[in-house]
Amino acid sequence: MTNAQTAQGTQDDLSGGTIRRKSSMMSKGAAAGLAIVLLIVGLAGGVVVGKYVLSSSSSGGGSSAVTSITETGSSLIFPAMSLWGPGFSKLYPNVNVTPQSTGSGTGQSSAEAGTVDIGGTDVWLNTTTATQDTLLNFPSAISAQLIFYNLPGVSSSTHLNLNGTVIAMIYSGAITKWNDPLIQAANPGVSLPSNTIVPIHRSDGSGDTGMFSSMCELSWSGWTFGHGTTIQWIASSPSYNGNGGMVTGLSNTQYGIAYIGISYLSQASAAGLGYAALGDNLANSATGGTDAANYVLPTSQNIAYDANLGLQYLAPPSLAVSLILGGDVVGTTNGPTIYPGEGGTNPTVAYPTPYPDVNLEYLLIQEHPKDLSHQKYVVQFLEWILSYGQTSQYLSAVNFLPLTPAIIGYDMNSLQLVSVSN
Amino acid sequence: MRNQPGVARLSNPPGGMSLRQFFQWLSGAAVAMIPLYFIIAIVATLVYASGFQNFGWSFFSTNWNPNPNDPSVAAYGWFDFAVGSAITSAIALALAMVLSLGLAVCIVSFLPPFLSRLAAPVTDMLAGIPSVVYGIWGYVILAPYFSKVIDPWMVGTLGFLPGFNATPTQYAGGVGLILAIFILTIMVVPITTALVRDSLRSIPKELEEAGLALGATRWETMRRVKIPFIQRSIFSAGLLGFGRAIGETVAVFMVIGNEVTLPTSIFGGSTTMATLLVSQMDSAFTYPLLLKALVEIALVLMVISLSVNAIGLRLLGRKTVTGPGGIE
Repeated sequence: MTNAQTAQGTQDDLSGGTIRRKSSMMSKGAAAGLAIVLLIVGLAGGVVVGKYVLSSSSSGGGSSAVTSITETGSSLIFPAMSLWGPGFSKLYPNVNVTPQSTGSGTGQSSAEAGTVDIGGTDVWLNTTTATQDTLLNFPSAISAQLIFYNLPGVSSSTHLNLNGTVIAMIYSGAITKWNDPLIQAANPGVSLPSNTIVPIHRSDGSGDTGMFSSMCELSWSGWTFGHGTTIQWIASSPSYNGNGGMVTGLSNTQYGIAYIGISYLSQASAAGLGYAALGDNLANSATGGTDAANYVLPTSQNIAYDANLGLQYLAPPSLAVSLILGGDVVGTTNGPTIYPGEGGTNPTVAYPTPYPDVNLEYLLIQEHPKDLSHQKYVVQFLEWILSYGQTSQYLSAVNFLPLTPAIIGYDMNSLQLVSVSN
Repeated sequence: MRNQPGVARLSNPPGGMSLRQFFQWLSGAAVAMIPLYFIIAIVATLVYASGFQNFGWSFFSTNWNPNPNDPSVAAYGWFDFAVGSAITSAIALALAMVLSLGLAVCIVSFLPPFLSRLAAPVTDMLAGIPSVVYGIWGYVILAPYFSKVIDPWMVGTLGFLPGFNATPTQYAGGVGLILAIFILTIMVVPITTALVRDSLRSIPKELEEAGLALGATRWETMRRVKIPFIQRSIFSAGLLGFGRAIGETVAVFMVIGNEVTLPTSIFGGSTTMATLLVSQMDSAFTYPLLLKALVEIALVLMVISLSVNAIGLRLLGRKTVTGPGGIE
């Protein structure tokens, strides 16, 4: 830029440069001509390519051609989808699946707009929107969230007992020290430091934040930040980008606490971080409960139990359900709710305690898509996910848990609602 | 202006122009205006996407509460992010200007020719490194170092200054304003250096010779004659550098900590307007009001960048270079 300007400025003052000026005039004309030619070629090329792309997509779905199922959305679902796609194509070589890792929000909006066959999202589409747009929430796997901490002096094999109330209070600034009486009461025998707790959150909008804020909101009536994939936080809470960033950030932050997806368990453990056993709201010393048995680790059994509990609140036909704290009718946001089945509510029945911070990974599909013949491949793919896709060969690699038989039953029923044609 | 052939031809088409020449002129003008069409299209479509949503005065407040469950308490004040942008860009630019003035002066006048032939392209190459590389370098390599060494040391020595105090938890992760400023400085230096260097080179030799002939040393000539001569170019280099800094997104996003709060310390985390757009974009697809707020913030950012760049380029163009000595 500078050089060009300088050259021009100098040309101004070269009073004797007639020949030079003429040649530059010619080259300018040539350059302009070239630019126009390139523009026309580019436009023509664009039209041709665009026409080809459009025609090939509209004629797609023929039996001989390879059909492509498109998926976009949650970066948490992406690794699973990347395994499911090729697995499905082995059985159906004429169909391939192209997944994109964009984000749950993109997954939802793309599914609503109908620009993809499947939208992946960690948070269900709310029932109203799902009904309006005739979209189906299709639970495809179970995931869980862990509460990690970086606590020097406490071995990472010791799992602190925490619950939603205490965690919500920490993230609201109502509990600031590790040796707060509420934490100490739930952890007899653990010598807790008097250092300030650093609550870490996700800076990017994420389903993890959605889950976590739901848990806080449902657990403690003092939680004022609502729930959602992005919310307001207290000023003293640092933030990191992505689950990987949370692991790095927490391992750099002594006396920090963070919520991280179970897929990152091995990474976080390798970084020396410990994770909490979570209790339900009755296992809360604030309400007099200190029963250590009510704090459970995120084992597959405890997670599946929570998922089954949540099922009774599942809202057909949208299949939207929060599994936080063993389930909640979708849309209910009013304070702590105790559900039957949670450890201790009915002392006469020995219910196990569910792990409370559990989520379903949803795939959103159109109930009545425009291209009915194409949709049959999508339905085939989803049926495959419900059967072969639930095996450990696919899910273990990404630390998801298989759907419980009851959820698979709901899924099969909801697939009956989808319009297809041969 | 007066003798420029291209401009003269474009500005008076009718006089004795053949039809062919006229169409040549017309298509030339159309092609030349393509960048303008893009700017207009971008602004117009973004304004449309914002839905003319009026957030009222709270839009300029520090109240950022994207809570989507309750629209009545939702607030989209972007003041915190404007402060984040201003602090990172302004300090990074100040540091970069000092560095690039020194570099440019050395390259043009004081380094031995072989070194200056080496230093100039190497500085330019810095500008060619993708910003994500700066980001990952800052995040993986520098952040731990800053948290363990640089930040504690600076807090210890400069902690008495306002804004330089911090608790260890504030710089625990190493990411924050100071690291963002450091990375931004490195990213801005090549641009400002190139601009200052080229202006220094375009100074007529006679000026320097006159200075030396009067008995001034090379340093005195540089300080008293050459630098005052290119004052305006230095200022415009600063503006263009600022435009680069305020729009830089990925590298800053990776190292600034992305905290949504008014920064209290240079060692704490912050968010800039540009990084906010990245971090909130996906959520915004499900929260329509948030999307509109982000679009409006993007428009503000665009207006700032465009005007800073326009002023910078205009000043650069008005340079008072005379004589053939200006060409390198």
